[in-house]
Formats: sequence, C-alpha cells, structure tokens
Amino acid sequence: MSKHFITMTVNGRERSLHVDSTDSLLDVLRNRLDIKSVKDGCGTGDCGLCAVILNGRLVNSCIVLAAQCRGAQVTTLEGLLEDPQMKSLQGRFLKYNAAQCGFCTPAMLVAAKDILSRTVRPTEDDIKAGISGVLCRCTGYYPIIQAIQEASEGRSR
Amino acid sequence: MAGFDIYVPTSLADALSYMEEFGEGTTVLARGTDLVPRLKRRQVTASNLLDLSGLELDLRYVRVDGGSLRIGALTTVSDLLESPSIGKELEVIRDAGSKFGDPQIRNVATVGGNVCSASSSEDLIPVLLALDAKLKLSSSKKERVVPLKEFILGKRTTFRKSGEILTEVEVPQLPSNSGSAYDKLGRRNTLIIALVNMAVVLTLEPDLETVLKASVSLNRVSGRIPQRATLVEGYLAGRRLTSDAVAAAQGILANELSLGSDFRASGEYRADVAKVFLGRLLGRCVSRIRGS
Repeated sequence: MSKHFITMTVNGRERSLHVDSTDSLLDVLRNRLDIKSVKDGCGTGDCGLCAVILNGRLVNSCIVLAAQCRGAQVTTLEGLLEDPQMKSLQGRFLKYNAAQCGFCTPAMLVAAKDILSRTVRPTEDDIKAGISGVLCRCTGYYPIIQAIQEASEGRSR
Repeated sequence: MAGFDIYVPTSLADALSYMEEFGEGTTVLARGTDLVPRLKRRQVTASNLLDLSGLELDLRYVRVDGGSLRIGALTTVSDLLESPSIGKELEVIRDAGSKFGDPQIRNVATVGGNVCSASSSEDLIPVLLALDAKLKLSSSKKERVVPLKEFILGKRTTFRKSGEILTEVEVPQLPSNSGSAYDKLGRRNTLIIALVNMAVVLTLEPDLETVLKASVSLNRVSGRIPQRATLVEGYLAGRRLTSDAVAAAQGILANELSLGSDFRASGEYRADVAKVFLGRLLGRCVSRIRGS
C-alpha cells in the first residue's frame, strides 16, 4: 500500500502529513487532525454526516481519498465558528430545536452555510435541495428548514 | 477497504504512458463517488489505482467547438449545471444533472466516471445516448472516437481497452427547432437509484408540429444497460405529434423494450412508468421548442 505526502489547508491552517492510499479525507480529519465535528455515519457517501467544504464545494469526506487532497482547502464546522452567518445559523438552530440527537447537526450547519453562501434569499425549495444530502432521523427536517430560512432573512431573534 | 496503491501522474502524457505499461492491472480513478464506496463495500477489488484528479487543467471543461459541445472527462455534474455553454436545446443535461445523486455527489461526480462506470444507475448515460454522444478515448499512441452506444457492452462492461483513458465526451450540436427533456422516478427524490429514467431529444420541422427526428433512451432495459427505443423513434419520425400518435408511440415502447424486474420494482411497473414518461417528455420537449 503506497504512502502519500500531502499538504492541505484545513480551517485556514496548513497541514502536511503522510497518508495511506486507503485513507479517506474523513479518516484524516477525525483520526489524525482530531477534528471531531465531522461524523463517520455510513462511510459510503449516503448519509452526508461527514460533509465538509472542499475547495469551495460541499462534499462527503468519507468517499474522498486523502491522497486526492493534495493542495486542497478544507473547511469544517470548526473553521466556521467565528463566521457571522454561522453564528446566526447556530442561534436559529437553538431557537427552533433543529438539533435533537445532534449527530447530523455539524453537517447540517455546514450544508446550511453552503446554501447561504450560494443563494442570498433561498426559497424553501432551495433549502430542501441544499440539505437533501444530509440525513436527519430526529427532527423531520422542518425545524432545520425554518432555522435556515430565518437565518437567511437576517431577522433578529 | 482492502489495500491498494495509487499512482498520481504529473501530466496527461504521464498518465497515458503509465496506462500503456500497467493498464491491464489498473483501475482508473476520477473523483471516486462510485468506485470508493464500491471498494469500501468490497463489491470490487483493485490493486492499483491511477488517480486522474490532478489533471483537471487538461480534462475539466465544457466548451462549444467545431459544431459540438465538448465535455472534459473530469467535468463534474455541478459544472454541467453551471455551464453557460449548454444551450436551452440541451436542457436535458440540466434536467438530469439536477436529479443526479445529491448536492455533495453532484459536486464531485464526473461525466467521465459516470460513463465508464457503465451501470444502469448512472443517470447521465441515457441522456448522452439520446444525444448521440461520442467518446474520445486516448492512449499513448493514438486517439479514437467511438459512439457511446457502441461503448457500453453490458452492465459495468465497456469497450475501453486497457491502455486507454476516456478524455472527452462530445455532443453534436442539435439542429434548430430542437428541444430535450429528462425525467427520473425513484422512491425518493434525492440520492436514489432510478426505477426508470428516460431522456427524449426532439427536433421538429419548421411547422413546429411534425417530427423531424426523435431520440428516446431509457435505463433498466433487460440486460441492465440503457438503450435507445429505436422502433419508437422510427414511428415518430415524419409524423405530426397528435395525441393519437403519442398514444401509439407509448404502445410501441411497451412492446419494444422489456424492462427488467428486480427487488426495486417489477418490469410491468417500469413499463407503465416509461409510457407515462414518454408522453410527458415529448410534451415538455414541444413546449421547450415553442418556448411556451
């Protein structure tokens, strides 16, 4: 099994490390860089709980091979904590009880941030489409949709 | 995941010379949305992967050139959705792209990967079949261009030789008065393997009533590869698109292609859906051509 030396920027910080050819980006984020908001759900790209922003795009990190991340820019929830839009989303998630067990919440927040960075005034359908790749088994999605909608309108709490 | 090596080429020429030497035992990796889950589930094994993802400068583009739309093999589905080069007569590409996988998959999955995976769950194949797409296969010695319909031999089996890499998909420009549409039925809207999908590409005579050419393709045909419905196409050509003609075409479709049964749905159910899709998509093509 070949080893690969990769350098990538994770949450603004340059990280260089040797990875195995079978390591996923998720493996590296959780187990090597100790970034635990990224969850290992299905491991096969179905549930979306490992979603991160890779080179400006929302992706499932469990099916991205780390060896393919040479020079990549990776952003996880940890890298967005100071972002005003993220703070607003977090506030609305609390207000609407959009987190129950919480396992999908980091991915849901990153997906929500991705929607807001692409669409200024997303419709309900835009929001549904934007979070459609992240499974939540608790909330029934509507609290999440309401939270994202309100955060996008920038209304005060 | 069982262990494998990854070769990371420095250029397309390097990738092709690697394939010339080691192509036989090498699995080509684009962005991995199909291959990586299959490796993880041990549905497939690979000892050697050739990673194309670093060749985006060479292989990720959508452009109109020489009367054709040219799509680089590493173009993602999201790239297709955002490309200004895809005109309104090719709306079928955006229809299929917007129903493809989920947002995270669309951001990663490539056109070349989808075609080479050659599974009936690959949503772009019926679309590209209906558009008479051609594939550019490159090797270190030469390039050849083959029609997509000759490329897919069976489920997950293609005509690609071991030293070759799919580098470009070419979609010939459609004549004026053309429109196209796609639909897909699954048990949910996102990240679902289609029970039935269908692409229709229609060109009308200047009267905007009579069919000059119709192309119809769908997946889940017995043998599990996407196919064209050539009898339906032959029936529609030269005919005015009345409701009787559409009904007759739907009848021909049901007889022409036997749709496969599996744990997801029966062939009979799929045939019923396909008939509905044919009527609906022909109608959508006509509205798109007339701009109404």
